[in-house]
Amino acid sequence: MNHMQGDPRSVEPNLVQFRKGVLELCVLALLERADAYGYEIASRLAEAIDMGEGTIYPLMRRMQKEQLVSTYLVESPSGPPRKYYRLTEQGRQNLLRQKTAWTEFTRAVNTVLEAGQDGKS
Amino acid sequence: MNEKDDFMRRLARGLRGMPQDAAQDILSDYEGHFEEGRRAGRSDGDIARNLGDPTRLARELRAEAGIRRWEDERSMAAALGAIVGLLGLAALDLFIVLPLLIAIFAVLLGLTVAAVCVSLAGLILLPFAILNMIPVSDGTWLQNVLFATGLFSAGISAGAFCILFVIGLTDLLSRYTRAHFRLISPAAAISTGV
Repeated sequence: MNHMQGDPRSVEPNLVQFRKGVLELCVLALLERADAYGYEIASRLAEAIDMGEGTIYPLMRRMQKEQLVSTYLVESPSGPPRKYYRLTEQGRQNLLRQKTAWTEFTRAVNTVLEAGQDGKS
Repeated sequence: MNEKDDFMRRLARGLRGMPQDAAQDILSDYEGHFEEGRRAGRSDGDIARNLGDPTRLARELRAEAGIRRWEDERSMAAALGAIVGLLGLAALDLFIVLPLLIAIFAVLLGLTVAAVCVSLAGLILLPFAILNMIPVSDGTWLQNVLFATGLFSAGISAGAFCILFVIGLTDLLSRYTRAHFRLISPAAAISTGV
């Protein structure tokens, strides 16, 4: 595949797809450990998987609609109250399913990748 | 001109046309985000850059809201709202298929209207046929009645097919859009600048 060689952008669409696919899983995993408010989720995930922070709010809306998360308000020491997100029972089960699928998938991909390396050397 | 005000203004402009309280909810989410960011010691410019393009965000939010309403209501107005939202998003991502999509929906809409007209014509004709009062026809009474009934039911079934097709297409597009929402990437390459 010589024509793709050396172009860093050729991998970019793939990366975007990867991130998009795992974003919801990451949010669910984050909320499993502790309830969090929007800014917290956005800034932590933006760091971890390098995405625009603004994306998180449309996603939270959708997850709320799908009843994977619920919200409640907490007075904050300064400024307006914070909207916290909590995992619902449905969200917990969804997380379990997605986690299993992810683990199996990555294991399968890794097996293929490693087999490819062995073949080369 | 402050970057936060600029971001909020562009977002609000993009959300225009959404129900007032829904838009207000969304705006307060981002308002809160700026508030928190400031408390964490970040500059407005940095926060705005990392949020992404507000116009694009607004279109995604509107498309999502349209799809949600369509899933809840399954009404003609909801379908139209979802389609408009999807086209708005498609205008950013799918330049090439946009005219095609618009054409398909326009043709479908035209066919539906035509089908409704045909069935209406049949419906209006039917009582006259039953009373044997169709002046221009040279057919028998039975022929006229059958003709009017046929017109009516053909219009209904054609209309039903068109509507089923619109429903199917809207569902398909909704699913496609959800699966392909592009992540809004930070506007600047240096994502953690001061």
